[in-house]
Amino acid sequence: MSKLAPATITRWVVSGPPTLFMLLFFLAPSLIMVLASFRYPGAFGGLAPVFGGGRPGEDTGLTLENYQFFFSDLLYTEIFLKSLLIALISTLACILMAYPLALLIARSPKRHRDLMVLLVILPFASNFLIRVYALMILLGPQQALASTINGVLAAFGCAPVSLLFSTFAVVVGMVYVHLPFMVLPLYTNLEKHDPTLLDAAQDLGASAWSRFWRVTFPLSLPGIFSGSALVFIPVLGMFAIPDLLGGTRDILIGNLIKDQFLGTRDWPFGSMLSIMLTVVVLALAGLAARLGQRKRDGGN
Amino acid sequence: MMAAIQAMARRRPPGRHVAGWPQRVVGCLLVLLVLSAGLVAPPANAANVLRLFNWNNYISQSTLDRFEAQCHCKVEQDYYSDNEEMLAKLAAGATGYDILVPTGNAVETLIRQDALRPLDRSRLPHFGNLNPAFLGGFYDPANRYAVPYAYTITLLGYNRTRLDALGLPHDTWGLLFEPKYLEKLKGRVTVLDSPRELMAAALRYLGYSVNDTDEAHWARARDLIIRAKPYWASFSNSSYIKELTVGNIWLAHGYSNDMYVAAQDAEKAGRAFTVAFSTPKEGAVLALDNMVLHRSGPRPDLAQAFMDFMLDGQNSAELTNLIGSGNPNQAAMPYIRPAIASNKAVFPDAEGVRQLEMLRDLDRRQRRVLNRMWVEIKLR
Repeated sequence: MSKLAPATITRWVVSGPPTLFMLLFFLAPSLIMVLASFRYPGAFGGLAPVFGGGRPGEDTGLTLENYQFFFSDLLYTEIFLKSLLIALISTLACILMAYPLALLIARSPKRHRDLMVLLVILPFASNFLIRVYALMILLGPQQALASTINGVLAAFGCAPVSLLFSTFAVVVGMVYVHLPFMVLPLYTNLEKHDPTLLDAAQDLGASAWSRFWRVTFPLSLPGIFSGSALVFIPVLGMFAIPDLLGGTRDILIGNLIKDQFLGTRDWPFGSMLSIMLTVVVLALAGLAARLGQRKRDGGN
Repeated sequence: MMAAIQAMARRRPPGRHVAGWPQRVVGCLLVLLVLSAGLVAPPANAANVLRLFNWNNYISQSTLDRFEAQCHCKVEQDYYSDNEEMLAKLAAGATGYDILVPTGNAVETLIRQDALRPLDRSRLPHFGNLNPAFLGGFYDPANRYAVPYAYTITLLGYNRTRLDALGLPHDTWGLLFEPKYLEKLKGRVTVLDSPRELMAAALRYLGYSVNDTDEAHWARARDLIIRAKPYWASFSNSSYIKELTVGNIWLAHGYSNDMYVAAQDAEKAGRAFTVAFSTPKEGAVLALDNMVLHRSGPRPDLAQAFMDFMLDGQNSAELTNLIGSGNPNQAAMPYIRPAIASNKAVFPDAEGVRQLEMLRDLDRRQRRVLNRMWVEIKLR
């Protein structure tokens, strides 16, 4: 009989509940989803049984049909590529907008920083759907923004454009909602930079641009990476924003998955799509990690 | 509990905006909440309480008050905003409802699940008030379970002033699908974000049934939709009411009672234009809601007393006057406001009724093929 050291017991008591929580609410549903992706849909929605008889007209057991249907043509792959492109554009836009903001906050006097960070987080105080509805009003065809732009376009003899119900509106919505997720990790990173490094670079004759490009930027890469992960992945799965702001072509992978559960009553296909999405995200994360590794190795 | 997010073949809450998915998510959360509360609190005993599981805003308060006074009982209502939500809640174990008000295809599902009690016609002396045109639906050919309650038609709502100025017709699905009309309406058109409803419109325009499942016909309908899509502003299930009312949108594919609301709102707001709606001559989708007895209800006696009460013309008319829904009760006609009663889009004549079809559920293969076409439509 082995005797448990008190430290071991404490460790288990402390880490047990969160581990159990993750097992119960993350791992178990994920496994259920993997299983569901090999099953048949039930007659009234849900899943047909794996064992035993189903209702009339229901197939039971396991199948590869869902995967075959996905790969039977390029349509679904096209949605994946389109969603990846939108996610990429949104992430780049977030980086471009969040970087100067994070730098500004990090370089501000300490007493102002907390307030500025608070202001960045402030939008979270209201539900994001409400903020997206507000965007719908802002971008609406009779609002000042749209009428100004169309006025300018008309002066140059161009046809009026619609801001709302467009891919542009979808990207604006994505960037707007996810911007704080880029600002915060970037700020946390930039704030920790040692200012004396910049002084040293200046003493050695580096210009302002070269101080940024050769000192600050490389040091901030971990912040950019974690911010990008926090933006890219949610954008990839987002369905609310394309639903509300998108036009007649703006369907993304998130909408497709949502449709399988709420519209088509096809849980197995929805599970399969969701697993494919997870695989794509993991593959991209792995690729990014590999690239980062090689860069570090090459740099040394 | 996963059934609580069961999917929907169609979404059509009458009398108000169609629930978008945010409402549905909230609805599902409420389902969870209600069910968990149900585990703690024992259900009320079979006192003089009638429990009604109904659409939001689908009965007039004064009707309820009169029934309560007449039966010396209390009516408790729970609400849903689409059939799938109601079915999911029942599938997840909600019990104790005497009456449900499902649409035809949901009645069919409930019958197949053996979840309904047969009616006792001897307790429904006013059953004869119903218009025979609305009896004997595919889901319950002999009306052993279902008492028709109210209906909506999926049709076209439009800015009549604009359409007239452009010299466009009002009564054809061609408005949604023909480039010669759409060129004048570019960016001013919305269609329902529902594969079944939009395909139904296209199928009728092509001369097929809304329940046609021939893939070649579906493909023709898909191509028609893809050709028209560049002219549309968006797919919309509820915002079209507001957009029609303020004049951003001139033509919308939607439900008759929503169009009634839009027309009323535009009039009340004193707009310089009128909003009107009509059923395209090619035919359209009819959604008929029915009162049925759920097996779990403790008071079928009270429930049938309520059904018969609602079959009374005056009581039945109150709902139509409230939300502009169609009414399958012939005895209600004298009590319905003339402006509604004379509207062909709410009360079609015999010929118009023949042009209406109810949607039937698709099997899983058909659902998947349709969804794939829907993705194609959305991507192109």
